[in-house]
Amino acid sequence: MNRSFKDDFNMMSMLLIPIGVAINIVGFQIANVLRLPIFLDTIGTILIGVVAGPWVALLAGLITNLINGIFNPVYFPYAITSMAIGLGVGFLSKAGMFKNIIKTIISGIIITFIAVIVSAPITVLVFGGATGSTSAILTATLLASGQEIWGAVFASSFVFEIADKIVSALIVYFIVRKMSDRYLSKMNYGLLYMKRGGK
Amino acid sequence: MQKNFIQQLHPMTKFFFALFLSAAVLIIPGHLFSFLGFAILLLIAVAAGVVKEFLGTVMKALLFLLVIIFLMQLFFYPGDHVLGQWGIFKWTEEGLNYGLTLSSRILAMGSAFILFFRLTEVRDFVKSLEDAGLPPMGAYVVLSTLQIIPEMRRHANTIMDAQKTRGVETEGSLLIRAKAFIPTLTPLILSSISSTEERAITLESRAFSAPTKKTSLHKLTKSTADRILPFVYITILVGLILWRILT
Repeated sequence: MNRSFKDDFNMMSMLLIPIGVAINIVGFQIANVLRLPIFLDTIGTILIGVVAGPWVALLAGLITNLINGIFNPVYFPYAITSMAIGLGVGFLSKAGMFKNIIKTIISGIIITFIAVIVSAPITVLVFGGATGSTSAILTATLLASGQEIWGAVFASSFVFEIADKIVSALIVYFIVRKMSDRYLSKMNYGLLYMKRGGK
Repeated sequence: MQKNFIQQLHPMTKFFFALFLSAAVLIIPGHLFSFLGFAILLLIAVAAGVVKEFLGTVMKALLFLLVIIFLMQLFFYPGDHVLGQWGIFKWTEEGLNYGLTLSSRILAMGSAFILFFRLTEVRDFVKSLEDAGLPPMGAYVVLSTLQIIPEMRRHANTIMDAQKTRGVETEGSLLIRAKAFIPTLTPLILSSISSTEERAITLESRAFSAPTKKTSLHKLTKSTADRILPFVYITILVGLILWRILT
């Protein structure tokens, strides 16, 4: 598929952005209500990346963090992480990496690496190694046992991200499977996931 | 809501002030000025009559984070001047200084943006961005997102209640609670995306994507203060940078 940058931004995919952002925020809240140990706050971004492509997902990630930032400015620097996740998922989807369960799990691992590599420098440089989340305790433990700050932050965020991102990718995979062909045919990358009629 | 002088300023003037304060805090070394910056923000909040909301959000969003950041730097920042020791933890003068600098900077910058959003309605801010060149589609996306979130939250609660009625367990062990996530989220997402089509038709039928200049019912005006203040910020910033280079 050869699509230019501009083709990705049609009316249908732009209207998917508010939905995706709301899924990110509401998904996080449902996970909180159910007291799950993972965040599940990128499901919307991943979903948009899969069906609408990298650039729309990048925008969705940005808007998610800007809106969360209205109430908690700590989210602003991490907008770069969300944007990188969206971009990465879009390219993975383009390469057909969400077509079956095994590939989706591999995608989840790749997304984890993207998230950790982009967010760890922000955590170290902007916040000196710790944010208010639970992973700060792990970072502190690793530091106390004599680890370098970079190693400690990378290791602790990796532990907390990997389950979150793989589960999110799997949830998106099952939801895309349940979308109707009629809807998918209107999305830029929907053709890849249609049950019939795809090339 | 009765609006006072500060709230009536143009959104961009207030936004530039948040950026200006953040830049000033980064230019000036040490933690004293950053705490002063927070005091200035507090005074503005009092003058604008939003001090309660402002302090509430600062406490909720930043207080815990700042304590963690301060302790991390205090104990783990590399330094030689040991001030005290407790078990394997020891704190140094360098750690204390860096901890104070970092946490005071984050306090000042974070609360600058918190104050900005307490003083400005998002609708006005998006409109001012649109005046500055943001495409109308972008403005629509941001504003409709803000509208959809509470709508979807209500919808999620409804779905959760409905699934409970059907016998989906939401209490119990981790596995049981995790299994309740999918039956809540899937109907929520599938029903929300089916509504995008109606939105697209509604927008198109009002010629939203027509390549003409859009008119708006909502208008923002600039007062004299809005024209002068940005120049004041820039002058002070240039002065601060010169002072840092020369001394």
